[in-house]
Amino acid sequence: MDYFMTVLLPMIGGLGVTMGIFLITFFVSIPLGFGFTLMTRSRFKIINAIAEVFIYVMRGTPLMLQLLFVYFGMPLLPVIGPILTFNRFPAACIAFSLNYAAYFAEIFRGGLLAVDIGQYEASKVLGLSRFQTMVRVVIPQMIRVSLPSVTNETITLLKDTALVTIIGVAEVLHYAKAAVNRDATPFAYLVAGLLYLVINFVITLVFKKLEEKYDF
Amino acid sequence: MDQHVIQVNNLTKSFDGNQVLKDISFTVNRGDVVAIIGSSGSGKSTLLRCLIDLEQADGGTILVDGKALIENGVSVSPSQIKKVIAPMGMVFQHFNLFPHLTVRENLELAPKLVKKMKQAEMDAACERHLKQVGLFDKIDAMPKTLSGGEKQRVAIARALMMEPDVLLFDEPTSALDPELTGEVLAVMQELAEEHMTMLVVTHEMGFARGVASKILFMNQGVILEEGTPEDIFEHPKHDRTRDFVSSLSNKD
Repeated sequence: MDYFMTVLLPMIGGLGVTMGIFLITFFVSIPLGFGFTLMTRSRFKIINAIAEVFIYVMRGTPLMLQLLFVYFGMPLLPVIGPILTFNRFPAACIAFSLNYAAYFAEIFRGGLLAVDIGQYEASKVLGLSRFQTMVRVVIPQMIRVSLPSVTNETITLLKDTALVTIIGVAEVLHYAKAAVNRDATPFAYLVAGLLYLVINFVITLVFKKLEEKYDF
Repeated sequence: MDQHVIQVNNLTKSFDGNQVLKDISFTVNRGDVVAIIGSSGSGKSTLLRCLIDLEQADGGTILVDGKALIENGVSVSPSQIKKVIAPMGMVFQHFNLFPHLTVRENLELAPKLVKKMKQAEMDAACERHLKQVGLFDKIDAMPKTLSGGEKQRVAIARALMMEPDVLLFDEPTSALDPELTGEVLAVMQELAEEHMTMLVVTHEMGFARGVASKILFMNQGVILEEGTPEDIFEHPKHDRTRDFVSSLSNKD
C-alpha cells in the first residue's frame, strides 16, 4: 500500500497535465473542427481547398511527427522561427488541437451529410435564415449522428496524450516510466493504466448521458 | 384591381439539358384550389418547387401577389425572394418535420424566429391549428411517435402557423399508407372550404375531382389541358388526358 502511494502521488501531479492537454484539446479542436467542416462546404473553391489540404496533411502524417515538428521543428524555421517557439505544454496543446480538429472536421462533415435535404427546404419555406437553419435545425441533428464517433475520438484523445512524453512533458506516463526504471517493477505501468481506465469510464458515462439527451 | 395571387408566364426549366418545363403559363385566383395532375416525370413537382424558389426556373416570369420572383428568366435579389415567397407555405411529400423538436416546437419555431411572435399569441395559434387538424392531444409528442398521417397533419398545422395566403402541397399523401390518406385529405378539404388558396400536386383523383376548382393536366413538361374538374374528367379534349384520368380513376 505504501508503495502504491509512492507511485501514485507523483502520477496524480502528472494527471493534472494529462487532463490539461485533454481538456484544452477537446474544447479547442471541436469548434475548430466544425469551422473546417463549414469550410469544406463553402461556395468558394479556395476555402474548400485550404480545408481539404489541412485535413489531408493532419490525418496523413503521424501525430508524433506533428508534436516533434511543433516543439523542435518550428523554432528552427527561417524568419518566422522565433515567433513560433513554444514551451512544451503549449506546443503539445497546439499539435493536438490541430490534429484532432482534422478528425472532428470529418466526423461533423459526415454528420451534416446525414441531415436530410428536406430539413433545409422546410426551414427555407418557413422563412428561417441560413444561420437560424444551421443553429436551430441542422446542428442538433448533426450532433446526434456524430456523437458515437465523437465519443470514440475523445477516448482516443485521452490515450494519445501519452505521446507528449516524447517532447518531455511530465504527464502520467512520464512518471510511470520513471518509477518503473527506478524500481525495476512494472507496477507503475498498471497504476497508470488504471488511471486512464477510470477517466475513460467517466468520459463514456458523460457521452452516454449526452446520447440519451439527443435521442429523438 | 382583381389581381391573380400567382401568375406564371412562359416558364422553362432544364436539368442537365433535359427540359422538364416547357413554356408553362397559368394563373391562380384567390380562393382557387388548383390540382396539378399528370404522370411522374411530367414536371408537376418541379413546377410547384419553382414557385417557392426550391428550384430556380431558367426562363419566364413568376408573380406572387403581383410581385416578381423571377422576371423573364432573371431572379430578383435574395432579400426580395425572401419577401416574395413569404406569403406561401408548403407541405412536402415526406413531411420534413424537425425530428429533434416536439410538435409544439415544430409549430412555434418559425413564428418565434421569423415573425418574433409573442409566446401567448403563439400558444393560442398553436392550439387553434392543432385542433383544426385534430391533433391537440399530440402537442408535446415527438415526431417519431406519430403515424405518417399524423405527421402530415402536423406539417399542415406548422405551415398554417405562418398564416400563408397560399399553400403548396407536393404529393402530400404519396408517402402514406392507403388507409392514412383519408385523414390528410379531409384536413385539406376543410381548408378548401375555408377558401384557402391551394396548389396541390397529387395522384388522388378523388380529391382533384371533388375538391379542386381548377385542374392542370401536365404531360412532358407542358400543361396539356386546363379546366374545371368536369372539363377534365367528363370532357377531356386530348386522348392523353382521357387515358390518364381513366387509368387512375378506375383504381378508386
